[in-house]
Amino acid sequence: MSAAPPTVVEPHPWRGLAWLTRREFHRVLKLWRQTILAPVIAALLFMVVFGLSLGESIAGINGFEYRVYIVPGLIAMAMAQATYSNNSSTIFQARNDRYLDDILSAPMSAWQVHIGYLAGGALRSLAIGVSLTALALPLTGVPLEQPLVLLAAVILLIAAFGALGIIVGIYAQSWDNQSFINNIVILPLIFLGGVFYSISRLGTPWEQISHFNPLFYVVDAVRYGFLGASDVNPAISLAVVGVITALLIGWAQYLFASGHRLKP
Amino acid sequence: MPEPAPTTAPALSIKGLTKRYGDGTLALDGLDLEVPAGSFFGLLGPNGAGKTTLIGAVCNLVRMTAGEITVFGEPGSGMRARRMIGIAEQEPNLDKFLTVYETLLYHGGYYGMSGSESAERAEQMIEAFDLRAKRDVEAPKLSGGMRRRLLLARALLHRPQLVILDEPTAGVDLELRQELWSYIRSLHRQGTTILLTTHYLEEAEALCDEIALISDGRIVARDTADGLKRQYGVETLEAVYLKTVAGGRIRLAQEAEVQ
Repeated sequence: MSAAPPTVVEPHPWRGLAWLTRREFHRVLKLWRQTILAPVIAALLFMVVFGLSLGESIAGINGFEYRVYIVPGLIAMAMAQATYSNNSSTIFQARNDRYLDDILSAPMSAWQVHIGYLAGGALRSLAIGVSLTALALPLTGVPLEQPLVLLAAVILLIAAFGALGIIVGIYAQSWDNQSFINNIVILPLIFLGGVFYSISRLGTPWEQISHFNPLFYVVDAVRYGFLGASDVNPAISLAVVGVITALLIGWAQYLFASGHRLKP
Repeated sequence: MPEPAPTTAPALSIKGLTKRYGDGTLALDGLDLEVPAGSFFGLLGPNGAGKTTLIGAVCNLVRMTAGEITVFGEPGSGMRARRMIGIAEQEPNLDKFLTVYETLLYHGGYYGMSGSESAERAEQMIEAFDLRAKRDVEAPKLSGGMRRRLLLARALLHRPQLVILDEPTAGVDLELRQELWSYIRSLHRQGTTILLTTHYLEEAEALCDEIALISDGRIVARDTADGLKRQYGVETLEAVYLKTVAGGRIRLAQEAEVQ
């Protein structure tokens, strides 16, 4: 063994973030069958079975064929679940195996660590969203009426569910905790948020109750981006999702900055 | 990038460090400690004395209840201080998605090194720690000895000025232990400050310029190995250890046995 002389290096302002982002991308791409391919196939099956096979026998909604109407909700659902699952599992695994220590002891600010972890979920979610859109366009003929609104909705969706994943990953005591939140909270709320139907068809009081479901606004904003039509004004949807996103980002940032549940 | 001016500040200065865990356990009780720059400093104490908590607080891995830490004069929680510390923890904590080379490469990146600099340094450390044959093997597939080598290589990759080694040779065979110490000694000769915790008293005596004994979250004695022996009027460091940190515990155990 031979030693090189130690030298002092000033911490670089953003390289740590760049490398953490790269590490998260590395993980997503290394597990691409599980992280990207499987959710794309699952959402595609929904489109084929519910949209193309059964869609013929289901009346159109708000002037759109059923197979077209369900595409935005299915894409939003797949992206939201992917971002959430990615971030909750990567953080939980890093905590559980304690290699998170290498990140926490490094000269990176809480914001940098936070953004680095959000980036992995964002990549996975975008890969799924772009793949599904590319497949849905020729398969169903879904339009892309309001790309800027869609972009805003997707950014908020990724940030909100990414932060939620981080929060759950930090609080989780076991793998079960994460899947519990996904299966018992996120999935039902998305299904009840109008992925497969318009809430205007529910009637009183279910239509009004649906307005208390935050995930309804996520689905509705994405739907407006694709179809140019929605159950509520898209500005309201984006505002509601924006507030939820800010709260979740703030919570996740508090956890990174304080070390609460990350450090004893 | 400009290098900071040489500092005469101690490598590590800890004042009134207190850590009380959520369950009420007092792990560190107003601990004061100063580790001179360039020293090879040993920290000895029984399990539960507070060694790992102390190291965790220095490395931003444990939230302090009270106290102040500076590293070469820089606030301990600041980025410059963190950049100057390299830690090899007691339990292997390696990223399961990365190979040996990637573990080192990414670590350099986290510590602000450029890609080319980190890649070059990673290859140097692979060579230095005899990891060439395992370069592209993922961490979970490494043997215990190889993981220990990788932990040390990772701790030293970003050329820290203060290297903290928490039981680095626990469970390591004699040959590897000699190799590791030879490397650490050469680093120390070149000016790196080493803070070592170990259960091997003979190892601490042979390597360390100064030794501090920690018990119940406080430093109870501190001197060179010879100074400690003189101070307590005994022949060996083991006898000092038994008289100070372990003495109370052994006495309590004996009293309990008699009763």
